Amino acid sequence: MRCEEMRRMILEDWPEEGPAAVREHVAGCAECRAYVRDFGVLRVGFRALAAEPVPEPSWGFATRVLRRLEETRDEVSVEFLERAGRRVVYATCVLALTLLLALALPSSGPLRGPTTAELYLAQAEEVTAGSIPIFTGELPSNNGATPVAPQNSGTGKKP
Amino acid sequence: MGSLPAQEAQEVQWVERAQRGDREAFGLLVECYQRRVMSQVFRLVRRRDEAEDLAQEVFIKAFRAIRSYNFRSPFGAWLSRVAVNHCYDYLRKERASRISYHWQMAEESVRRIEAQAENPQGSRLDPEQQAALRDFVGKLLDRAPAEDRVVLGLKELEGLSVEEIAEILKLNRSTVKVRLHRARKRMLEDLKRWREGR
Repeated sequence: MRCEEMRRMILEDWPEEGPAAVREHVAGCAECRAYVRDFGVLRVGFRALAAEPVPEPSWGFATRVLRRLEETRDEVSVEFLERAGRRVVYATCVLALTLLLALALPSSGPLRGPTTAELYLAQAEEVTAGSIPIFTGELPSNNGATPVAPQNSGTGKKP
Repeated sequence: MGSLPAQEAQEVQWVERAQRGDREAFGLLVECYQRRVMSQVFRLVRRRDEAEDLAQEVFIKAFRAIRSYNFRSPFGAWLSRVAVNHCYDYLRKERASRISYHWQMAEESVRRIEAQAENPQGSRLDPEQQAALRDFVGKLLDRAPAEDRVVLGLKELEGLSVEEIAEILKLNRSTVKVRLHRARKRMLEDLKRWREGR
């Protein structure tokens, strides 16, 4: 039996006492003897550890678990509210910042076309400039029966 | 004889109630399993001062995850899985902050322990030597990676079979065997290093 084969067998099966082939090999191989001895120390050590008395749960263990469950439930809900609140605050900040930026940015620029408001104003100016003034001079007192027609200045005649 | 099925039926009822959020029923399950969980946690973590806290955390985790329990395996096995996973997480975190050193042991104790290992039927170790050996192997375990500690703890300290470990860790048998082989080999190498540096 080779050393490697023997060590693999020991590690896999962890036997109390190896078969005859192992014993024969160990008797003639000092290195494997040391290996088996170390393995024996660990085995005895594990046995001693397994025999160590285990601590008992202290009195009221279940009650404390239930209390901790209650506490963690409260913590979870508080944490959830905090997280949700934080998100609302962040969203409001982002929205406010966007609005501020929209207002603060110049209304014209190389990349910006005229805004709707600008187009509307320009149109209104155009209309006003091309039309005849509605009210010129004093209003005649006709008791409001018929709308007053604008004076026709193009005829050059006086009534 | 008929008490075991009745007990099981009772347990199923408690689990179902706990799954609906009934804390009182869960408390009854805690009463039933507290010793077992505590023992498992202590054997895997080997920290007397932290075992109870960790065991409580296991039950809290179990309550939060209890809806995922599908009654295919016994409730105890499912709870063991929760406990082992929790201990594994703890050991992984703890390892980063652990000071790693070899335990010093008196020459006489080493000689007696080796003699005992070579001839288990020979002279018995006295309580002091037993304690020294426990500390020594405990320190070797502390130095091992979390994966090795879990698999060795379940096999050598809890006394579970390869099949039971495979069921708890959700691994196949051959993977458990490979992990056990690797863990034992690493411990032997560490022991050899200790011997050489002595």
